[in-house]
Amino acid sequence: MPGHKRVAVMSPQTRLAHSRRRARGQWRVPKLAADDAVRAAELHRRQLRLAVAPLALLFAGIFGMPLLFAAFPGLDDVRLLGIPVSWLALAVLPYPALTLLAGWQLRRAERTEDTQ
Amino acid sequence: MIIAFAVAPVVLVTLLIGLRGVAAMRTTSDFLVASRRVSPLLNSAAVSGEYLSAASFLGVAGLVVKDGIGSLWYPVGFTAGYIAMLVLVAAPMRRSGALTVPDFAEARLNSPALRRVTAAVILVIGGLYLVPQFRTAGLVLSAVSNSPYWVGVVIAGTGVAITLALGGMRAATYVQAFQFVLKLVLFIVPAIWLLIHVTPQTRHEALHPVEFTRFDQATTVEFRVGTTLDFAEPTPLRIGDATRVIEPGRWDVPQASTVTFPKGAEVPKIAGEARPGGEGWSRPLLDLANAGHPLLGTWALVVALALGTMGLPHVIMRFHTSPDGRAARRTAAFTVGLLGIFYLFPGIYGVLGRVLVPQLYLSGATDTAVVALPAQVDANWAGSAFTALLISGAFAAFLATSLGLLLVVSGAISYDLLPGGLRRLRVTVVLAAAVVVLLALQAIRLDAGVLVTWAFTVAASTFCPLLVLGIWWSRLTVAGAMSGVLVGLFASSGAIAGTLWGLPVTGWLAILVAQPAPWSVPLAFLTMIIVSLRGRPASWSRTAMLRLHLNEDREQTAADRLRALRERAQSSQTSRS
Repeated sequence: MPGHKRVAVMSPQTRLAHSRRRARGQWRVPKLAADDAVRAAELHRRQLRLAVAPLALLFAGIFGMPLLFAAFPGLDDVRLLGIPVSWLALAVLPYPALTLLAGWQLRRAERTEDTQ
Repeated sequence: MIIAFAVAPVVLVTLLIGLRGVAAMRTTSDFLVASRRVSPLLNSAAVSGEYLSAASFLGVAGLVVKDGIGSLWYPVGFTAGYIAMLVLVAAPMRRSGALTVPDFAEARLNSPALRRVTAAVILVIGGLYLVPQFRTAGLVLSAVSNSPYWVGVVIAGTGVAITLALGGMRAATYVQAFQFVLKLVLFIVPAIWLLIHVTPQTRHEALHPVEFTRFDQATTVEFRVGTTLDFAEPTPLRIGDATRVIEPGRWDVPQASTVTFPKGAEVPKIAGEARPGGEGWSRPLLDLANAGHPLLGTWALVVALALGTMGLPHVIMRFHTSPDGRAARRTAAFTVGLLGIFYLFPGIYGVLGRVLVPQLYLSGATDTAVVALPAQVDANWAGSAFTALLISGAFAAFLATSLGLLLVVSGAISYDLLPGGLRRLRVTVVLAAAVVVLLALQAIRLDAGVLVTWAFTVAASTFCPLLVLGIWWSRLTVAGAMSGVLVGLFASSGAIAGTLWGLPVTGWLAILVAQPAPWSVPLAFLTMIIVSLRGRPASWSRTAMLRLHLNEDREQTAADRLRALRERAQSSQTSRS
């Protein structure tokens, strides 16, 4: 097993501080092999198409919920376990919803990469 | 005393890690393997650890006390930002190999000028994000130690600067992840304890808010800065040791005074602010700038937060710890879940704070509501113990975010803006911390949540279009990127400056000045697109963009490829024999 020198595991910030000078180097014209370029173009196209639905859902949620609250002020008076429903809808509901959205999009994006 | 018990351990541990890097010493090969295999879950805990700042730990609850339930839109926006990050930025940004936006600008567009401009934007974002951290840390430290505000700010600033200048932040992913767990526990456990120990009556009042109109007991308020109160009735006050009756009308509270309001007196008003629990407080919408358009205000805020997250310099840096683009994407996704756990709790502190410590709004110190609560519930050792826990959590939040941000800001100064090396970086860190301390001294009346939101706004108006178009649109040109970033920077920071200097606007216009994202972000995008379309991108532009979308599965290191070749040769040999 080569390389038993002990080194500190650093945060990226510190690594940056130590190594940025060396890492920067000269800018080089980006190159892609022909087959990689085709694959990348296909991935770019597919991922862009996949991005539409989650972003639409996200913005529908963050624009739609305030609209609902404004349109139905009665939600403040309906209570669940003594807590106004509108409070619960704002303080609790978004987090599982966002987590589900994240998981869904993660699976779709990874599946696209796997099949390419 | 409480300071020593609460803050000292956090500072000491951070210093120790900074000085010795003891937390994770490994062999080189371990390190190489480990850095390739840091699990996305661990990494997302580290991202959350760096992300949850004093604004999340204290600021959100403080804003709930002051402005109402609608303030819970802040954490929703803070979390929603990671969805935009996951969808648009995380994986390609990691594949670009860039640690910061200036790096990205150079890798994608090869423009030293754009590198410097984006570095300058980092200074603006970093400043807007750091000032509230220092301010809130100073406010809490001075509140619990009964010292003037500036002492607290200077202590906080000195702690951060020393930690950074001595050791940099050698906090490995594990340490930041531990920081997240620490903050989570220090936030959740006291919240549950509070819920159990408040009286049923308090619980009932918390859920049935009424306007804070009369002091239901003699109440002492510390005014660390002068303020103007509007009295509706003659009120006998004890100011320091003297007693005085204040006539109806305006009264300027002198700086650094302790005022006791008698039981049953009417609560004075602050010009331009509603009293906690008043009309609109219990609505789940945020009436920004008291403009009377809560729907528009809420939208403006959430857009800024959801689009700004992807441009926060210290967060982008963290994603670099992921071994590849795929892991970076997973990290973003898991972060949404982890933040979601934390953000279930600020509301609890907020609604309890409105019942138990509404007077904090008089001195503009609602950001200390979280740490002021335990003492209201239990006057004995338990209350003190939980106060200490919350203070150390808040200080941990302050330290984690400030260290990361200060290093990014100093890095931008000493690498992107000036030629320099590690030694200059250390000097820059100290100087930057000093500047932030000076700014924070002026910012005591500005709520942490509001200032941090402006940092998001600037990020959303500059880095969001740059990253999104840079990653997804091959026709982006240097001129387009440059003009878009500059337009976004001047539009957003101009509007913020307008708010700070009290531009006389009302109604929906006031919202668009206080929270310019709804127009400054589209403006920046449009500028970038139109200017780019009028020019010609470099011949390699499309390759530079496509490179960011190529998944790494087939793109291995030289050593891997060699091993694969050897294995293939071996297997073909065995099959032949």
